[in-house]
Amino acid sequence: MAGTVIGEGLSIEGDLTSDEEVVVHGTVRGKLTTSDAVTVGGTGSVQADVSGSSVSIAGQVTGDVTAQERIDLQAGGRLVGDVKASRFTIADGASFKGNVDMEM
Amino acid sequence: MSPGSVIGRGAVVRGNVRGEGSLEILGRVEGDVNVSGDVVLGESGVVRGNVSGVELSIAGTVQGDLRGSQSVLLERGARVVGDLSAPRIGVAQGALVRGTVRTDGEPALAGAARRGAQLHAPRPAPAAAPPKPFVVKEAPKPLVSEEPEAEAPKPEAKHEPKPEKEKESSPRERERPPAPVVPALGKGAKAKKKRREA
Amino acid sequence: MLGAGTRVTGRVTGDGSVRLDGSLKGDVQITGAAEIGAGATVEGNVHAEAVEVSGSLIGDVSASGPIAVRSGALVRGELKGAEVSIEPGSRVSVRIDTELELDLGAAPRRR
Repeated sequence: MAGTVIGEGLSIEGDLTSDEEVVVHGTVRGKLTTSDAVTVGGTGSVQADVSGSSVSIAGQVTGDVTAQERIDLQAGGRLVGDVKASRFTIADGASFKGNVDMEM
Repeated sequence: MSPGSVIGRGAVVRGNVRGEGSLEILGRVEGDVNVSGDVVLGESGVVRGNVSGVELSIAGTVQGDLRGSQSVLLERGARVVGDLSAPRIGVAQGALVRGTVRTDGEPALAGAARRGAQLHAPRPAPAAAPPKPFVVKEAPKPLVSEEPEAEAPKPEAKHEPKPEKEKESSPRERERPPAPVVPALGKGAKAKKKRREA
Repeated sequence: MLGAGTRVTGRVTGDGSVRLDGSLKGDVQITGAAEIGAGATVEGNVHAEAVEVSGSLIGDVSASGPIAVRSGALVRGELKGAEVSIEPGSRVSVRIDTELELDLGAAPRRR
Protein backbone atom coordinates (compact mmCIF):
# COMPACT_ATOMS: atom_id res chain seq x y z
CA MET A 1 0.00 0.00 0.00
CA ALA A 2 1.15 3.45 -0.80
CA GLY A 3 2.58 5.48 2.03
CA THR A 4 0.70 8.63 1.18
CA VAL A 5 -2.50 8.92 -0.79
CA ILE A 6 -4.04 12.29 -1.54
CA GLY A 7 -7.60 11.34 -2.40
CA GLU A 8 -9.74 13.02 -4.99
CA GLY A 9 -11.21 16.17 -3.51
CA LEU A 10 -8.40 16.67 -1.06
CA SER A 11 -5.90 19.42 -1.58
CA ILE A 12 -2.61 20.28 -0.01
CA GLU A 13 -1.67 23.93 -0.08
CA GLY A 14 1.99 23.53 0.57
CA ASP A 15 4.87 21.16 0.22
CA LEU A 16 4.74 17.43 0.64
CA THR A 17 7.94 15.60 1.45
CA SER A 18 8.17 11.86 1.99
CA ASP A 19 10.38 8.85 1.92
CA GLU A 20 7.54 6.59 0.82
CA GLU A 21 5.39 6.18 -2.23
CA VAL A 22 3.04 9.06 -2.92
CA VAL A 23 -0.18 8.78 -4.92
CA VAL A 24 -2.06 11.91 -5.87
CA HIS A 25 -5.69 11.77 -6.94
CA GLY A 26 -6.37 15.21 -5.51
CA THR A 27 -4.40 18.41 -5.67
CA VAL A 28 -1.00 19.42 -4.39
CA ARG A 29 -0.15 23.11 -4.67
CA GLY A 30 3.43 22.92 -3.58
CA LYS A 31 6.50 20.84 -4.15
CA LEU A 32 6.15 17.11 -3.99
CA THR A 33 9.36 15.36 -3.06
CA THR A 34 9.90 11.72 -2.19
CA SER A 35 12.67 9.19 -2.48
CA ASP A 36 10.10 6.62 -3.58
CA ALA A 37 7.67 6.48 -6.50
CA VAL A 38 5.16 9.18 -7.37
CA THR A 39 1.89 8.49 -9.15
CA VAL A 40 -0.33 11.32 -10.27
CA GLY A 41 -3.67 9.70 -11.07
CA GLY A 42 -6.13 10.81 -13.72
CA THR A 43 -7.88 13.19 -11.35
CA GLY A 44 -4.64 14.27 -9.74
CA SER A 45 -2.98 17.61 -10.14
CA VAL A 46 0.34 18.90 -8.93
CA GLN A 47 1.11 22.55 -9.42
CA ALA A 48 4.77 22.68 -8.53
CA ASP A 49 7.91 20.64 -8.98
CA VAL A 50 7.76 16.89 -8.55
CA SER A 51 10.64 14.67 -7.65
CA GLY A 52 10.74 10.94 -7.01
CA SER A 53 12.51 7.71 -7.81
CA SER A 54 10.05 7.21 -10.64
CA VAL A 55 7.14 9.40 -11.61
CA SER A 56 4.00 8.32 -13.42
CA ILE A 57 1.60 11.00 -14.58
CA ALA A 58 -1.94 10.35 -15.77
CA GLY A 59 -3.26 13.66 -14.46
CA GLN A 60 -1.83 17.13 -14.63
CA VAL A 61 1.50 18.45 -13.55
CA THR A 62 2.61 22.03 -13.93
CA GLY A 63 6.19 22.19 -12.81
CA ASP A 64 9.49 20.47 -13.35
CA VAL A 65 9.65 16.74 -12.89
CA THR A 66 12.76 14.90 -11.81
CA ALA A 67 13.13 11.17 -11.36
CA GLN A 68 16.10 9.02 -10.46
CA GLU A 69 14.81 6.25 -12.66
CA ARG A 70 12.00 7.08 -15.02
CA ILE A 71 9.13 9.33 -15.87
CA ASP A 72 6.05 8.00 -17.63
CA LEU A 73 3.52 10.39 -19.01
CA GLN A 74 0.40 8.29 -19.43
CA ALA A 75 -2.42 8.66 -21.91
CA GLY A 76 -4.51 11.61 -20.83
CA GLY A 77 -1.65 12.97 -18.77
CA ARG A 78 -0.62 16.55 -19.16
CA LEU A 79 2.74 17.93 -18.19
CA VAL A 80 3.92 21.49 -18.52
CA GLY A 81 7.46 21.78 -17.27
CA ASP A 82 10.92 20.43 -17.75
CA VAL A 83 11.73 16.80 -17.31
CA LYS A 84 14.88 15.24 -16.01
CA ALA A 85 15.31 11.49 -15.90
CA SER A 86 17.31 8.84 -17.68
CA ARG A 87 14.12 7.34 -19.13
CA PHE A 88 11.10 9.26 -20.24
CA THR A 89 8.05 7.92 -22.04
CA ILE A 90 5.13 9.82 -23.46
CA ALA A 91 2.06 7.74 -24.21
CA ASP A 92 -0.23 8.34 -27.13
CA GLY A 93 -2.84 10.81 -25.96
CA ALA A 94 -0.62 12.56 -23.47
CA SER A 95 0.40 16.17 -23.80
CA PHE A 96 3.73 17.64 -22.90
CA LYS A 97 5.30 21.03 -23.10
CA GLY A 98 8.79 21.56 -21.86
CA ASN A 99 12.39 20.50 -22.17
CA VAL A 100 13.78 17.06 -21.62
CA ASP A 101 17.10 16.33 -20.02
CA MET A 102 18.02 12.67 -20.24
CA GLU A 103 21.63 13.03 -19.28
CA MET A 104 22.93 10.40 -16.97
CA MET B 1 -16.11 9.01 -4.43
CA SER B 2 -12.50 8.83 -3.61
CA PRO B 3 -11.07 6.44 -1.16
CA GLY B 4 -9.75 8.12 1.92
CA SER B 5 -6.50 9.97 1.92
CA VAL B 6 -3.44 9.04 3.88
CA ILE B 7 -0.50 11.15 4.89
CA GLY B 8 2.02 8.37 5.27
CA ARG B 9 4.31 7.80 8.16
CA GLY B 10 7.29 9.14 6.28
CA ALA B 11 5.50 12.15 4.89
CA VAL B 12 5.77 15.76 5.94
CA VAL B 13 3.30 18.36 4.75
CA ARG B 14 4.15 22.00 5.18
CA GLY B 15 0.93 23.78 4.48
CA ASN B 16 -2.78 23.31 4.83
CA VAL B 17 -4.68 20.19 3.97
CA ARG B 18 -8.31 20.55 3.08
CA GLY B 19 -11.07 19.08 1.05
CA GLU B 20 -13.48 16.22 0.67
CA GLY B 21 -13.33 12.86 2.25
CA SER B 22 -11.59 11.35 5.18
CA LEU B 23 -7.97 11.55 6.09
CA GLU B 24 -5.60 9.40 8.00
CA ILE B 25 -2.44 11.07 9.23
CA LEU B 26 0.51 8.90 10.14
CA GLY B 27 3.14 11.48 9.29
CA ARG B 28 3.50 15.12 10.06
CA VAL B 29 1.44 18.12 9.04
CA GLU B 30 2.56 21.65 9.73
CA GLY B 31 -0.59 23.54 8.94
CA ASP B 32 -4.32 23.30 9.36
CA VAL B 33 -6.33 20.27 8.44
CA ASN B 34 -9.91 20.79 7.39
CA VAL B 35 -11.83 17.97 5.75
CA SER B 36 -15.46 17.07 5.15
CA GLY B 37 -14.96 13.58 6.50
CA ASP B 38 -13.33 11.95 9.47
CA VAL B 39 -9.77 12.42 10.61
CA VAL B 40 -7.71 9.67 12.15
CA LEU B 41 -4.41 10.76 13.62
CA GLY B 42 -2.32 7.68 14.22
CA GLU B 43 0.13 7.24 17.04
CA SER B 44 2.97 8.35 14.82
CA GLY B 45 1.04 11.34 13.53
CA VAL B 46 1.88 14.92 14.43
CA VAL B 47 -0.12 18.00 13.55
CA ARG B 48 0.95 21.51 14.29
CA GLY B 49 -2.18 23.39 13.43
CA ASN B 50 -5.92 23.17 13.87
CA VAL B 51 -7.80 20.09 12.85
CA SER B 52 -11.44 19.99 11.91
CA GLY B 53 -13.62 17.24 10.53
CA VAL B 54 -16.67 15.18 11.37
CA GLU B 55 -15.27 12.58 13.71
CA LEU B 56 -11.76 13.07 14.98
CA SER B 57 -9.93 10.14 16.41
CA ILE B 58 -6.61 11.17 17.85
CA ALA B 59 -3.84 8.90 19.05
CA GLY B 60 -0.95 11.13 18.04
CA THR B 61 0.32 14.56 18.91
CA VAL B 62 -1.40 17.86 18.20
CA GLN B 63 -0.56 21.42 18.91
CA GLY B 64 -3.69 23.22 17.89
CA ASP B 65 -7.42 23.08 18.32
CA LEU B 66 -9.55 20.07 17.53
CA ARG B 67 -13.06 20.57 16.26
CA GLY B 68 -15.36 17.71 15.36
CA SER B 69 -18.83 18.36 13.99
CA GLN B 70 -19.76 15.05 15.59
CA SER B 71 -17.04 13.98 17.92
CA VAL B 72 -13.50 14.32 19.12
CA LEU B 73 -12.03 11.26 20.74
CA LEU B 74 -8.58 11.26 22.25
CA GLU B 75 -7.19 7.80 22.52
CA ARG B 76 -4.62 6.41 24.83
CA GLY B 77 -1.28 7.92 23.96
CA ALA B 78 -2.73 11.07 22.46
CA ARG B 79 -0.98 14.29 23.43
CA VAL B 80 -2.81 17.49 22.71
CA VAL B 81 -2.10 21.08 23.60
CA GLY B 82 -5.10 23.00 22.42
CA ASP B 83 -8.84 23.25 22.78
CA LEU B 84 -11.31 20.48 22.03
CA SER B 85 -14.87 21.08 20.94
CA ALA B 86 -17.56 18.78 19.57
CA PRO B 87 -21.03 17.58 20.51
CA ARG B 88 -19.38 14.45 21.83
CA ILE B 89 -15.94 14.37 23.38
CA GLY B 90 -13.95 11.59 24.90
CA VAL B 91 -10.58 11.63 26.55
CA ALA B 92 -9.37 8.12 27.23
CA GLN B 93 -7.20 7.14 30.11
CA GLY B 94 -3.65 7.56 29.01
CA ALA B 95 -4.45 10.51 26.77
CA LEU B 96 -3.00 13.84 27.78
CA VAL B 97 -4.52 17.18 27.02
CA ARG B 98 -3.81 20.72 28.05
CA GLY B 99 -6.47 23.18 27.08
CA THR B 100 -10.18 23.63 27.31
CA VAL B 101 -12.62 20.86 26.54
CA ARG B 102 -16.13 21.87 25.72
CA THR B 103 -19.07 19.90 24.45
CA ASP B 104 -21.46 21.83 22.24
CA GLY B 105 -24.15 23.65 24.16
CA GLU B 106 -22.07 24.17 27.24
CA PRO B 107 -21.11 27.72 28.09
CA ALA B 108 -17.49 28.71 27.75
CA LEU B 109 -15.66 28.60 31.00
CA ALA B 110 -15.48 32.01 32.60
CA GLY B 111 -12.01 33.31 32.16
CA ALA B 112 -11.13 30.39 30.00
CA ALA B 113 -9.86 32.72 27.37
CA ARG B 114 -6.83 33.92 29.21
CA ARG B 115 -4.71 30.84 29.29
CA GLY B 116 -6.42 29.32 26.33
CA ALA B 117 -5.46 32.25 24.20
CA GLN B 118 -1.91 32.04 25.33
CA LEU B 119 -1.67 28.48 24.28
CA HIS B 120 -2.35 29.37 20.74
CA ALA B 121 -0.58 32.57 20.29
CA PRO B 122 2.64 30.98 19.19
CA ARG B 123 1.07 28.78 16.60
CA PRO B 124 2.68 29.25 13.23
CA ALA B 125 0.99 30.69 10.30
CA PRO B 126 0.87 27.69 8.05
CA ALA B 127 3.99 27.61 6.01
CA ALA B 128 2.31 28.04 2.68
CA ALA B 129 -0.59 30.17 3.70
CA PRO B 130 -2.15 31.61 0.59
CA PRO B 131 -2.91 29.22 -2.20
CA LYS B 132 0.11 29.68 -4.31
CA PRO B 133 -0.32 27.93 -7.56
CA PHE B 134 3.25 28.10 -8.64
CA VAL B 135 6.42 27.95 -6.77
CA VAL B 136 8.73 30.46 -8.19
CA LYS B 137 11.67 28.77 -9.72
CA GLU B 138 14.69 29.01 -7.60
CA ALA B 139 18.22 29.08 -8.73
CA PRO B 140 19.09 25.66 -10.10
CA LYS B 141 19.76 23.39 -7.23
CA PRO B 142 21.64 20.15 -7.34
CA LEU B 143 18.88 17.67 -7.93
CA VAL B 144 19.63 15.17 -5.27
CA SER B 145 16.32 14.53 -3.70
CA GLU B 146 17.40 11.91 -1.24
CA GLU B 147 19.31 14.35 0.80
CA PRO B 148 17.67 15.51 3.96
CA GLU B 149 17.84 19.03 2.80
CA ALA B 150 15.03 18.18 0.47
CA GLU B 151 13.05 19.08 3.54
CA ALA B 152 14.80 22.28 4.19
CA PRO B 153 12.34 25.08 4.72
CA LYS B 154 11.49 26.98 1.65
CA PRO B 155 12.64 30.52 1.67
CA GLU B 156 9.06 31.67 1.59
CA ALA B 157 8.42 30.00 4.89
CA LYS B 158 10.32 32.66 6.70
CA HIS B 159 9.71 36.19 5.92
CA GLU B 160 12.06 37.70 8.33
CA PRO B 161 14.80 39.73 6.84
CA LYS B 162 16.61 37.20 4.81
CA PRO B 163 19.95 36.12 6.04
CA GLU B 164 22.76 36.41 3.59
CA LYS B 165 22.63 34.12 0.65
CA GLU B 166 25.69 32.17 1.64
CA LYS B 167 24.18 31.50 5.01
CA GLU B 168 21.37 29.61 3.40
CA SER B 169 23.66 26.87 2.32
CA SER B 170 25.09 26.29 5.73
CA PRO B 171 23.65 23.05 6.96
CA ARG B 172 22.59 24.42 10.30
CA GLU B 173 20.51 27.05 8.73
CA ARG B 174 18.89 24.66 6.36
CA GLU B 175 17.89 22.14 8.92
CA ARG B 176 16.07 24.60 11.03
CA PRO B 177 12.30 24.21 11.04
CA PRO B 178 10.43 27.04 9.37
CA ALA B 179 9.66 29.04 12.43
CA PRO B 180 10.36 28.45 16.05
CA VAL B 181 6.94 27.69 17.31
CA VAL B 182 7.14 25.70 20.44
CA PRO B 183 9.72 26.80 22.86
CA ALA B 184 12.38 24.20 22.69
CA LEU B 185 11.65 21.47 25.12
CA GLY B 186 12.94 22.46 28.45
CA LYS B 187 10.69 23.73 31.12
CA GLY B 188 8.55 20.68 31.63
CA ALA B 189 10.93 18.17 30.22
CA LYS B 190 11.84 16.80 33.56
CA ALA B 191 8.28 16.46 34.62
CA LYS B 192 7.50 14.67 31.44
CA LYS B 193 10.30 12.30 31.94
CA LYS B 194 9.10 11.62 35.42
CA ARG B 195 5.69 10.90 34.09
CA ARG B 196 7.06 8.45 31.62
CA GLU B 197 8.86 6.58 34.28
CA ALA B 198 5.90 6.53 36.56
CA MET C 1 -21.36 9.27 52.40
CA LEU C 2 -23.95 11.82 51.57
CA GLY C 3 -27.14 10.05 50.61
CA ALA C 4 -29.52 10.88 47.83
CA GLY C 5 -32.05 13.42 48.94
CA THR C 6 -29.64 14.98 51.37
CA ARG C 7 -28.92 18.63 50.98
CA VAL C 8 -25.85 20.11 52.50
CA THR C 9 -24.56 23.61 52.47
CA GLY C 10 -21.05 23.81 53.81
CA ARG C 11 -17.72 22.22 53.68
CA VAL C 12 -16.92 18.54 53.56
CA THR C 13 -13.49 17.77 54.93
CA GLY C 14 -11.67 14.85 56.45
CA ASP C 15 -9.55 11.79 56.05
CA GLY C 16 -10.83 9.00 53.91
CA SER C 17 -13.14 8.81 50.97
CA VAL C 18 -16.57 10.19 50.33
CA ARG C 19 -19.41 9.37 48.05
CA LEU C 20 -21.91 12.09 47.31
CA ASP C 21 -25.37 11.28 46.06
CA GLY C 22 -27.20 14.31 47.32
CA SER C 23 -26.77 17.98 46.80
CA LEU C 24 -23.85 19.91 48.15
CA LYS C 25 -23.11 23.58 48.04
CA GLY C 26 -19.60 23.98 49.34
CA ASP C 27 -16.12 22.64 49.00
CA VAL C 28 -14.93 19.11 49.45
CA GLN C 29 -11.49 18.58 50.83
CA ILE C 30 -10.57 15.04 51.70
CA THR C 31 -7.54 12.81 51.66
CA GLY C 32 -9.18 9.88 49.92
CA ALA C 33 -11.29 9.48 46.85
CA ALA C 34 -14.35 11.55 46.07
CA GLU C 35 -17.13 10.02 44.09
CA ILE C 36 -19.93 12.21 42.87
CA GLY C 37 -22.81 9.90 42.06
CA ALA C 38 -25.07 10.14 39.07
CA GLY C 39 -27.80 11.94 40.95
CA ALA C 40 -25.54 14.26 42.89
CA THR C 41 -25.16 17.97 42.41
CA VAL C 42 -22.07 19.68 43.73
CA GLU C 43 -21.38 23.37 43.57
CA GLY C 44 -17.95 23.95 44.97
CA ASN C 45 -14.36 22.99 44.60
CA VAL C 46 -13.25 19.46 45.13
CA HIS C 47 -9.85 18.47 46.37
CA ALA C 48 -9.18 14.80 46.84
CA GLU C 49 -6.77 12.08 45.99
CA ALA C 50 -8.94 10.84 43.17
CA VAL C 51 -12.18 12.18 41.82
CA GLU C 52 -14.88 10.44 39.86
CA VAL C 53 -17.85 12.40 38.63
CA SER C 54 -21.03 10.83 37.34
CA GLY C 55 -23.34 13.60 38.43
CA SER C 56 -23.17 17.33 38.17
CA LEU C 57 -20.22 19.36 39.37
CA ILE C 58 -19.68 23.05 39.05
CA GLY C 59 -16.36 24.03 40.49
CA ASP C 60 -12.70 23.32 40.22
CA VAL C 61 -11.23 19.93 40.85
CA SER C 62 -7.75 19.10 41.94
CA ALA C 63 -6.50 15.63 42.58
CA SER C 64 -3.12 14.08 43.13
CA GLY C 65 -4.44 11.04 41.33
CA PRO C 66 -6.82 10.58 38.44
CA ILE C 67 -9.93 12.55 37.64
CA ALA C 68 -12.61 10.65 35.75
CA VAL C 69 -15.68 12.22 34.20
CA ARG C 70 -18.26 9.57 33.43
CA SER C 71 -20.81 9.44 30.71
CA GLY C 72 -23.88 11.40 31.75
CA ALA C 73 -21.93 13.75 33.99
CA LEU C 74 -22.00 17.52 33.74
CA VAL C 75 -18.79 19.27 34.73
CA ARG C 76 -17.83 22.90 34.53
CA GLY C 77 -14.57 24.14 35.94
CA GLU C 78 -10.87 23.53 35.98
CA LEU C 79 -9.56 20.04 36.29
CA LYS C 80 -6.14 19.56 37.70
CA GLY C 81 -5.08 15.99 38.15
CA ALA C 82 -2.37 13.53 37.38
CA GLU C 83 -4.58 12.27 34.64
CA VAL C 84 -7.94 13.38 33.38
CA SER C 85 -10.28 11.14 31.46
CA ILE C 86 -13.63 12.07 30.01
CA GLU C 87 -16.17 9.59 28.77
CA PRO C 88 -18.10 10.43 25.65
CA GLY C 89 -21.66 11.23 26.58
CA SER C 90 -20.72 13.67 29.29
CA ARG C 91 -21.33 17.39 29.06
CA VAL C 92 -18.28 19.40 29.91
CA SER C 93 -16.85 22.85 29.79
CA VAL C 94 -13.55 22.41 31.50
CA ARG C 95 -10.00 23.44 31.35
CA ILE C 96 -7.49 20.70 31.82
CA ASP C 97 -4.18 21.77 33.13
CA THR C 98 -2.00 18.78 32.69
CA GLU C 99 1.67 19.29 32.71
CA LEU C 100 2.41 18.48 29.13
CA GLU C 101 5.16 19.53 26.83
CA LEU C 102 4.92 18.50 23.25
CA ASP C 103 8.07 17.35 21.63
CA LEU C 104 7.34 18.88 18.29
CA GLY C 105 10.62 20.49 17.62
CA ALA C 106 12.20 17.25 16.55
CA ALA C 107 13.32 17.03 13.00
CA PRO C 108 10.88 15.16 10.82
CA ARG C 109 11.34 11.46 11.08
CA ARG C 110 13.60 9.86 8.59
CA ARG C 111 14.01 6.18 8.32
